[in-house]
Order: sequence, then C-alpha cells, then structure tokens
Amino acid sequence: MKLEYNGIRVRLSGREVLRGVSLTAESGQMTGIIGPNGCGKSTLVKTTFGICTPSAGNVLADSCDLSQYSPRERAALIGYVGQDTGCAFDFSVSDVVGMALHARRDRSLSAREVVGQALAELQIAHLRDRSILSLSGGERKLVFIARAVAQGADALILDEPTNHLDIRHQLFLLDYLKGSGKTVLIVLHDLRLAAHYCDQLILLSDGMVAAKGKPLEVLSARLVRQVFGIRGEAYDAGGQVDFSLFR
Amino acid sequence: MLRVTGLQRERGLRGPLLFLLLFLALGGSIIGAVRIGSVPIPVSEVFGILKDQLFLGGRKLASGRWEMPHFQIIWNIRLPRVLFGIFCGAGLAACGAAMQALVRNPIADPYILGISSGASAGAAWALLMPFPFFPGQYQTAMAAFAGAMLSACTVYFMAKMAGGGRLQPVTLLLSGTAVNAVMSAVTSFLIFLAKSPESIAAVYNWQMGSLAAAQWNTLLLPSVGTTVGIAVFTLCGTRFNLLMMGDDDAAAMGLRVRGFRALMFLVCSVLVASLVSVTGVIGFVGLVAPHVVRLLSNTSDCRTVIPLSALLGGVYLVWADALARSVFGAAELPLGIITASIGAPFFLYLMIRRGGHNG
Repeated sequence: MKLEYNGIRVRLSGREVLRGVSLTAESGQMTGIIGPNGCGKSTLVKTTFGICTPSAGNVLADSCDLSQYSPRERAALIGYVGQDTGCAFDFSVSDVVGMALHARRDRSLSAREVVGQALAELQIAHLRDRSILSLSGGERKLVFIARAVAQGADALILDEPTNHLDIRHQLFLLDYLKGSGKTVLIVLHDLRLAAHYCDQLILLSDGMVAAKGKPLEVLSARLVRQVFGIRGEAYDAGGQVDFSLFR
Repeated sequence: MLRVTGLQRERGLRGPLLFLLLFLALGGSIIGAVRIGSVPIPVSEVFGILKDQLFLGGRKLASGRWEMPHFQIIWNIRLPRVLFGIFCGAGLAACGAAMQALVRNPIADPYILGISSGASAGAAWALLMPFPFFPGQYQTAMAAFAGAMLSACTVYFMAKMAGGGRLQPVTLLLSGTAVNAVMSAVTSFLIFLAKSPESIAAVYNWQMGSLAAAQWNTLLLPSVGTTVGIAVFTLCGTRFNLLMMGDDDAAAMGLRVRGFRALMFLVCSVLVASLVSVTGVIGFVGLVAPHVVRLLSNTSDCRTVIPLSALLGGVYLVWADALARSVFGAAELPLGIITASIGAPFFLYLMIRRGGHNG
C-alpha cells in the first residue's frame, strides 16, 4: 500500500509544528523519517490516525483519503507503534497482542493462532504468559510491535522502534521489517541504521522537509551539517550504504 | 467476535471459577443477610418464606404457616433492602472499574471524580431549603441527581478545557478533585445557613449513606439502571481494554477515543447519580472491588474485571449493610462508615502489596 502525505500542517498550542510536509512512502518499501529533536517527526506520523489533527493537508492510502475512514477501518490498513510503551494495568503479553484483533479484518486464523504467529515472528513466544508489567523496556517494545503486526495491516508506522532495544534486537527488528514486504514508515534517530536499511529517507527540519530521496543523497555532508550541526555523511561501502560520523 | 481471554491456561480458568464462586456467594449472601437483624430468624424459615412467595404464590402464608411479623420483616423489609444493596454495590463497583479504565488510573472512582459530592450538595439543598414542589424524599433524590449531573458535567467540561479540547486522564482527575472541593464547600455553607437541627442531622445522615430507603417500589430504577449499565460496560470490555493502553494506541488500534470516553463517562454519571441519589454517599466500593478482582483474577482485562467487580461489589455491600444493621443492636450504624473503615485500610494494604510485587 502506498501512503501519501500532502501538505500537512499541524498547530499545537499555538505553534505551527508542521509547516506543509509532503512525502510518499512507496508500497513495500522502507521509508525512514529522520531529523533533530522537535522537528515534528512524531507529530507527522500521528496525523495518520487522527491523533493529531492537521489544520491543512491530507493523508492518502492508495489514493483514498484516510480521514474518510473510521478508526477501525484505518487500523485494519495501518499498524502503529508509538514511543510510549507505558502501561499502568496488569495485562498478559497475549492479552496485549490480542487487542489487535479489534481491528483485524482477516478472520481465517483463530485468536490464539494470530497471537502465536505474531509473537513467533518477533521471536518472543516465550513471553506469552508473562505480565506486561514484568517486562523490560526492550521486551515491551517487541510486544507492542507484535501487536501492530497482529493487526494484519499492509503498512506499519513505527516511531523510534529501536529505542530500548539492544543492538542485536535493533538489527533483528529492522531485518524483520525489511523482509516483511509491508510498507514501512519508520522514525529513526540512528543515522547509521537509517542509511543502511531505508530505501528512502525524509529529512525533516523545523517542521519542513529539508530533503528526501536515497540515503546517499539525503545524508550528504552538507545536509547533515546544515540540519544536525555535526560532521558526518553516508557513503557506499561496497554496495551497501553506511554512515560515518566525523567524516 | 474472537475471544482472547481463554488464551492462558492459568488465567483462563481463574475467571470462570471466580465468576461461579462469586455467584454462589451472592446467593448465599441473600439468604444469610436476610436472616441477620435485630430479630433473628432461622434459615429454614427464610428459605420457606422465599420459596412460598416465589414459587407457591403465598399459599402457605395464607394457611398461617408463618407468623405475620416474620413474613413482614423478611419479605417487605429485609429482602428489598438486601436486593437494593446488591444493585447499589454492583453498580458502584462496575462504575469504579469503568472509570479506572476511562481515566487510565487505578485510583479513580465515582467519588474521586466528584460525582458523589455533587449529589451531596444537591441533597443538602433539598433537605435544608426545600423547594415548594415534590416534597419529601423524591425531592431529595431529584436534587441529588441534579447535583450529581451538574458536577459530572462541570468535571467533564473543565477537564476538556484544561486539556485543550481533549479529555485527558490527568486533567479529568484534577478537575474531579477541584469540583469535589467546591461541592463540599457548598454543602458546608448550606449547613452553616441552616436553622433547624433536624434538617442538619438529616444532611449528616445522608452524607454517611444508608440502604434504609429500600422498598419494593423503589427497587425498579436501581435494578434496571445497574443491569443495563453493567451489560453496556461488559459488552464494551474490549474497547475499555484498548483505552487502558493509552489514547494514541487506542486510536491506532481502531477506537473512536473521544466519542467512546464521553459516552461512557455519561453512562457512569447517570448510573452513579441514580444510585447515590437514593442511598447517600457510600464510598470505596468502586475503588476496592475492581482492585480485589484484579488481584484475584490476575488480569486487568475489562471483560473479566467489570462483571466480576459487579458481583463482588454486590456481595460486599450486602454484608457491609448486614454489619451496619447488627453491630449496635437496634441502633443502625451508617453504611458509609462501615465501607470506609473496611475500604480504606484494605486499599492501603493492597497498594503496599502491589508495590512489593512490582518493585
């Protein structure tokens, strides 16, 4: 599924956080959103679900305006994992992942199978009966990603999913997402991971798109210095893109 | 609809088992609590009279099998009171569980959200400065209902304004606290203005809660209200669960967050107002019952917690009332004192236990 954001503007407490952002997440590709703190990355992905309401612009899924869909229809199309994985109540891991069934369209599998499959894909089947309150931050993150997967959507939107994950799980998660064949829109802080894994990068700066395109173009020394104020650039390391600081 | 509760071996069994146990406890409580009071009546007679009235159309009573005063006490005084206690306890407990999910905070309760203090102020007004129409008990109940709805609406709109157009759990709790303070001040001011000691005593009594107003003809509204309320909450259990994961996640999982929260807040307010307007302030049922259920059932799943809380709340209030009726012989202790003195220490104990578990 192709996701298009057209001229999104969002005002939060009197400040214009997004000032006309347009981008496209191509079907089956991994599109990364990068940018300094407070540039509007999270706000942008939240407009997809009406969590933040844009004052102008729209979000299209395969050319259909998402605001025309009910929340449930939207959740059947796109799964979402936010930054916040806090929970004040005692749910088991399978209860949490099972919540995805509220929106899931495909009913060919039983609830048990859907939950089991999602947990197995994220390699956390052993956590199934544990309480969500007893998990570490990284384990919780994987559970919430499993929940988004269990929604059975064609597209996944993830806001800094590598937070709290150790390096092995960061790579595992990104490999998994890349191999899933879904349209993935992902907010990342680690420019090395972004350069290596994303098919396309969107560089946000102060509520506007500073650059978009292939990682090699977007993470040029000039743009990195201009937007992040640091030295560093992406380079071709034998057919694979890598990013190096202080270059 | 797909079921997910049964996924767990351990937890899956616990829910139905608890349900069965609490249901049996409820039946036992009706018989047991009807027996208790200033005039002790043997269980066999309680059984006999109930069976005769329910299934035999009162034939044995007509034949003089039982003494008329005993029949009066059981059928016309204690039974409606016990049933009223069940409906009130169940309604308050279910509302407590629902409100905790709505504001995503385990310490929420109809009382903390200011609804009962609004009812108090309304009742105080009617008791101390009666309006010229609908005299007597009806006026107190209606004024309490109006007060409860007024404070519920105030809490709702204050929270919405403070949250910049969105209803957020924290602002909801804070505006509940603020409205609580204002409504308590109104009640105190009305008492300060009042002249007659009798009506001041009536306000005090009302603030301490009682099931004494129960009669067969006052039972209809609470029973229908509570049953419908619990049914609605339980059917919306999945949605409550989504909401407990946070507004953003709930929206992304397909919940119409704002509409659902507003609607359920309204249902809670109407239900609590209709109960509190008759009984006066009975605290802690909505706070304690869901907590105990979560601990016993080992889950926070609202599809389990809401119906179980309702059952437990019913059993709890019936026995609290039985205690109130019997502790000091003929003089009846206000029910609110019992629920508070059991509820508050128990709640502290639960918090300490929970803290130990999570730490």
